[in-house]
Amino acid sequence: MKDLLRIKSLISTEIESLLNQQVKKEAYSSSVYLSMASWCNRNGYDFSSDYFFKQAEEERLHQLKFYKYILDMGGNSISPEITGIKQEYNSFREVFEEALDQEISVTNAIKNIYARCLKEQDFVTVEFLNWFLKEQREEEYKARRALELFEVIGEEGTGRWQIDKHVGEIKYNG
Amino acid sequence: MITTLTQTNQWTDVFKTSKGAIYQCDEERCWYVDFAGKVAKFDYRCLLKLRKSVYHINIEQALLNTTKDPDVEIIFICACDHCYVLTLVQIIALKELLEGTFVMLELNHILHDKLVIGQ
Repeated sequence: MKDLLRIKSLISTEIESLLNQQVKKEAYSSSVYLSMASWCNRNGYDFSSDYFFKQAEEERLHQLKFYKYILDMGGNSISPEITGIKQEYNSFREVFEEALDQEISVTNAIKNIYARCLKEQDFVTVEFLNWFLKEQREEEYKARRALELFEVIGEEGTGRWQIDKHVGEIKYNG
Repeated sequence: MITTLTQTNQWTDVFKTSKGAIYQCDEERCWYVDFAGKVAKFDYRCLLKLRKSVYHINIEQALLNTTKDPDVEIIFICACDHCYVLTLVQIIALKELLEGTFVMLELNHILHDKLVIGQ
């Protein structure tokens, strides 16, 4: 008996479903960053707003990368429904704290898919995920560095204005 | 749609229960589902859709439902020629049939994998 499932698709149903969950997660991240960009802009933090616009764009590209990979491997990509995006934040700092939380949760999700791929010996997807793991190094570094600015500059006086100015300059050279 | 089963030697049994059976046809790259009085042909996409819609039915909730609605579910699969109108007992039987089938297909996949590695 031919292995028809394998002929039609390179990835298993479990991996396909995990990758679709990741598509949704990346789409959610993109929307969260967009909301953060709006909040920052409304409150006068224009450099941070630009930073979050760029982040939103990056997350969208990640989403598409997963989306196309599923299709290329013979799977079924599901366009996600995104709801429940927080629109208001209590402080400038809270925005960055939540941005870091978001990145940590994305890293964990990718690690989870990676573990499943290793269990199934799906080395093709493992190789695909390697790019994302490297990307997460940068994303988490940037989010952590932004929070660090709150410590080293301080929020008193013109502190927040200084922090905002420096957020746009954060770069990772790893 | 085929209404009577005229099984040829090109069909391989995938899984059988007392209520039905699923066969694989390598040549046509499809499966034949013999259930609820008919034999229906399903390609890869449609079989996955059938599985999804059957697994999606909340059997427990339907069992506990005390309203006077008829105890029937319509399984309609988008872009597929077949449709099932099944009672709760039939749904349980179809679910069992599909679960068994996918376990067998997975087993077949593992065997193929091991054979390739072994070569």
